[in-house]
Amino acid sequence: MLKLDNIHAAYGKVLALQGISIEVKQGEIVALLGANGAGKSTTLRAISSLIQPTEGEISFEGKPITKLAAEAIVRAGISHVPEGRRIFPGLTVTENMRLGASIRKDIKGITEDMEKMFKLFPDLGRLRAALGWTLSGGQLQMLAVARGLMARPKLLLMDEPSLGLAPIVVQQVFQTVQEINKSMGTTVLLVEQNASMALSIANRGYVMETGRIVLEGPAQELLKNPEVREAYLGGKRAAG
Amino acid sequence: MPKNLRSFNWGYLAIALGAIAVIVLPMMVTTRYSTNLLILGAAWGIAAMGLTVVLGYTGQISLAQASFVGLGAYGIALGTTRWHMNWWVALLIGVLMAAVAGLILGMTTLKLSGHYLAMVTISFQIIFTLIATNWRVVTNGPDGVTGIKRPPFLFALNSAQKYAWFAMGALFLIGLLVYFLRKTRLGRSMVAVRENELAAEALGVDTIRTKIVAFVLSGIIAAIGGAVYASGFLYISPDTFSFETSVQFLAMALAGGTESVLGTILGAFALTLLPEFLRDFKKVYLIMYGFVIIMVIVFMPEGLWGFVNLIGRRFVKPKALPKAKNPLQVGGQGASGEDLLAVANLGKHFGGLKAVDAVDFTVKRGELHALIGPNGSGKTTCINLISGLYIPTFGSIKLKGQEISGVRPNRIARMGLSRTFQNLRLFKELTVWENVLIGSQRKGGTEAQIADRALAAVEFVGLESKVQERCKNLPYGHQKLVEIARTLAGEPELLLLDEPAAGLNQTEKQEMVGLLQRLHAAGLTMLLVEHDMSLVSQVSDRMTVLNFGKKISEGLPDDVLADPVVVEAYLGNREVALGA
Amino acid sequence: MDLPIFGQNLLAGVAIGGVYALVALGIVLIYRATNVVNFAQGEFSMLGAYALFALTSGLKLNYFVAFLLSLALMAVLGLLFELGVYYPLRNRTFLPVVIATIGASIMFQNGALAIFGSSPEKLRPVIQAGTHGGITLGGVFFDYQYVVILIVTGLLVVIQYFFFEHTLLGKKMQATSQDKDMARLLGIPVATMIAITFIYSTLLGGLSGMLVGPIFFVTHRMGGMLGMKAFAATIIGGFGDVRGAIIGGLSLGIVEALGAGYISPIYKDAFAFLVLISFLLVRPQGIFGEKVSEKA
Repeated sequence: MLKLDNIHAAYGKVLALQGISIEVKQGEIVALLGANGAGKSTTLRAISSLIQPTEGEISFEGKPITKLAAEAIVRAGISHVPEGRRIFPGLTVTENMRLGASIRKDIKGITEDMEKMFKLFPDLGRLRAALGWTLSGGQLQMLAVARGLMARPKLLLMDEPSLGLAPIVVQQVFQTVQEINKSMGTTVLLVEQNASMALSIANRGYVMETGRIVLEGPAQELLKNPEVREAYLGGKRAAG
Repeated sequence: MPKNLRSFNWGYLAIALGAIAVIVLPMMVTTRYSTNLLILGAAWGIAAMGLTVVLGYTGQISLAQASFVGLGAYGIALGTTRWHMNWWVALLIGVLMAAVAGLILGMTTLKLSGHYLAMVTISFQIIFTLIATNWRVVTNGPDGVTGIKRPPFLFALNSAQKYAWFAMGALFLIGLLVYFLRKTRLGRSMVAVRENELAAEALGVDTIRTKIVAFVLSGIIAAIGGAVYASGFLYISPDTFSFETSVQFLAMALAGGTESVLGTILGAFALTLLPEFLRDFKKVYLIMYGFVIIMVIVFMPEGLWGFVNLIGRRFVKPKALPKAKNPLQVGGQGASGEDLLAVANLGKHFGGLKAVDAVDFTVKRGELHALIGPNGSGKTTCINLISGLYIPTFGSIKLKGQEISGVRPNRIARMGLSRTFQNLRLFKELTVWENVLIGSQRKGGTEAQIADRALAAVEFVGLESKVQERCKNLPYGHQKLVEIARTLAGEPELLLLDEPAAGLNQTEKQEMVGLLQRLHAAGLTMLLVEHDMSLVSQVSDRMTVLNFGKKISEGLPDDVLADPVVVEAYLGNREVALGA
Repeated sequence: MDLPIFGQNLLAGVAIGGVYALVALGIVLIYRATNVVNFAQGEFSMLGAYALFALTSGLKLNYFVAFLLSLALMAVLGLLFELGVYYPLRNRTFLPVVIATIGASIMFQNGALAIFGSSPEKLRPVIQAGTHGGITLGGVFFDYQYVVILIVTGLLVVIQYFFFEHTLLGKKMQATSQDKDMARLLGIPVATMIAITFIYSTLLGGLSGMLVGPIFFVTHRMGGMLGMKAFAATIIGGFGDVRGAIIGGLSLGIVEALGAGYISPIYKDAFAFLVLISFLLVRPQGIFGEKVSEKA
């Protein structure tokens, strides 16, 4: 469905990605793991065209999308829920969600989808008229996901959904991601530092380090891989 | 001592050429008219150099330069005509007035920057013009002041040519001063403020004082330019010192290159002479003038001189570095094992968010103490509190037994505490060498001592071959090392490291481990915030674990990492995480 | 205190304040969308006034045809300004952009000087009625032009409020100003939103010039001080808020008119800036403040 082939990208002279190749198949949840600064977020930014790769090709459903504008990527069916949620603080919950459907014109469908989201996230239903900045961390994350889904994406890119959330909320978020994947058939590419959580719901995973993919494989195998445990699961002793 | 790391310095060539120009130019121009232009160029060159200091070096915008020039000019004009003072006394008065004005504007930078500062300087400029135009009793209003005297000097300044020598000489002297200012401690502090105010403050630069001094100096220099102007033309009127003129000075500095003395002087002469050459098209010229400003900004961000310099740099080869005379003295004196840093009941709330909530821990002299915890657990907030960037909501922080909560970062830095930043706050446009020199300044001493410490720090992290490079051109791994070298050069007693291994690959990480171990062995006390557990467990003596702003565990690495509370915080629910 | 005189000063203050508010509104909108402070905003007023002058006095067009045509010209200018000054510098820091807008304002001023010369021109008021062009109520003379200014300003504020709070396009523009990258990720055409902002702000500027033209003379220098005052009003009101521009503009106009009326007309301009400086030092964030999330 989504294919990255040898993607290079840089911020000024600092190389952020040095030849990334990733594949995401229809219906999968794929986890992209790695430490701070490994280039995970940049990979997502490259997919949604917030940063232009210096080299390499990205294709979605067989069509090249490397040179498309950010807006066209959303139209193609890719929704990006960025790190830090990025909810518009001065707009209400409903308004934030309505903007998630910016590319759609079917008012009726939009209204239906919004009700669907309020069912999926009952918290948001209660807080329809609340301004973005008044929400708690968990609510913000739910809203970010709901807003991303309002575009009816085929592929959902999620960047660090667990960041700064309490473990119990993290688990809720991940359960929801799983649910969306199963019930709505949305494919998910998930960037996480919380490797164990991410791998527990993912089908496959990639591990990044300084702009390169250093490991890949089925989620269960990665979970057992000693190197992964060592680096991302809190050390041998902790995980053992 | 590495007095000058570049084998050929464009500055010295410029100085020599400048000295020749001072003597020769007034002899070459023959008509009264062109001599006047030379005088005007010199006066405006001096005035624009005030902007080199405040804008070029310190990065603060000033749109009140013409009012400073006006204060100097009115000082001379009124002093020598109305109050019959000695010229030099009148100069002193004008300069003092401008210095006070600079002080006032500089003090507004305490609270304001960016467009607010721009507006305050504009307001000051407009008020000056209004007073000069309307306070007729003193300033003679729009009619201006005539019959201004020339200064008593070594030779009588009784012809335009002789005065041109005087004016050019003044330009030359001030140019030299401003040029060498850049190479002093104050000059480096100014550039540090421009490049990254937060980092400058954390490295012990008193950023507020530096900005005020820059404004005062800028005012003084501009006032001298005004004095040279007033005595050159023997007549002044308020419209010469208007907002438009302030913009013109800005354009001169920008066109030439704000940071370069020679560039600014060239810019001043170019913009003084151009309208004269284009006299017949004066209307169109002014339209072009606005257009050229935009073009210069779009296409030559560093001005004319920056452009020349860029080409010049290709032909310059760096000299070999000397070896440092003395090894780095990190860690300071004091009994090993005593409490160097004691944090008690520390809290920081942002609105309803309790980023740090009643945390206690101590760092003992000589130990490497790790502060770990999941993202958002308050580690970086802790570091920001300790280094003085945040003021605690409650609680106490003691460094060497002294309370430092609420103390400004530069004071804390000068007490011997240094830090790095998670997202690197380098002085990007400066070379590695200058970055490290600025870090070295904190500990004071002579220029030779400052340079020697900087050398030792560069050697310690192994960046000798990169000292000439501008930081922005270095790969990430090297940038991290520069930041550490910059803190080491100030020979800190306590170093706070915020995620030094983030973004490094395995090899670089191992090198970082080696560097930390060598620093540890050298006796430096460190507080390390880091995500990479394998790195933390390799280097740290003790650990404190935070989660949601609270301390959840503390002790030796082995014990802490086996603590079920810590495992829970990192892994979430283990059944869900590992069992599925 | 002589009430009619006070009323007269107040009315003048409110009317001029309304003009400041219109120019300030343009500054705030551009700032919110792009973080750029446009120092050339006052020149849009001047150009708007000259455009209307040229079309009515030069080409002898019907006033309202000329009015609409001038607005169209301003819209084109706004787009050109965005493409020529903002767009090439969109990724640069504050300082170069400010200086580029000052450069643009020098261009506009001297362009107008070259075309129209330096002699002041008089612009036709919107309502040409009676010999005095106004009515007297309770000892206070209401110049029709003042009344028109107040009505237009009030109307624009209402329209703008409705646009931002109750239309999808308004929400998209708000989203753009709050977080550009996020807006992009939602498929909002950010470049178009910014272009619209510049066009609308230029229209506001031009309109303010057409309104104030009949009160003051139209000269190539009228925009400079108007822009500065509007900028001051923006700061007093707070950069982040549309309400701020209105309140800031009105209060500045009133302070100025009362200061000129009761203290000294010569230092009229100084009052505005003294108020500004003292205000900045006491409350740098303005009356309404910028919406800042404190946590980094």
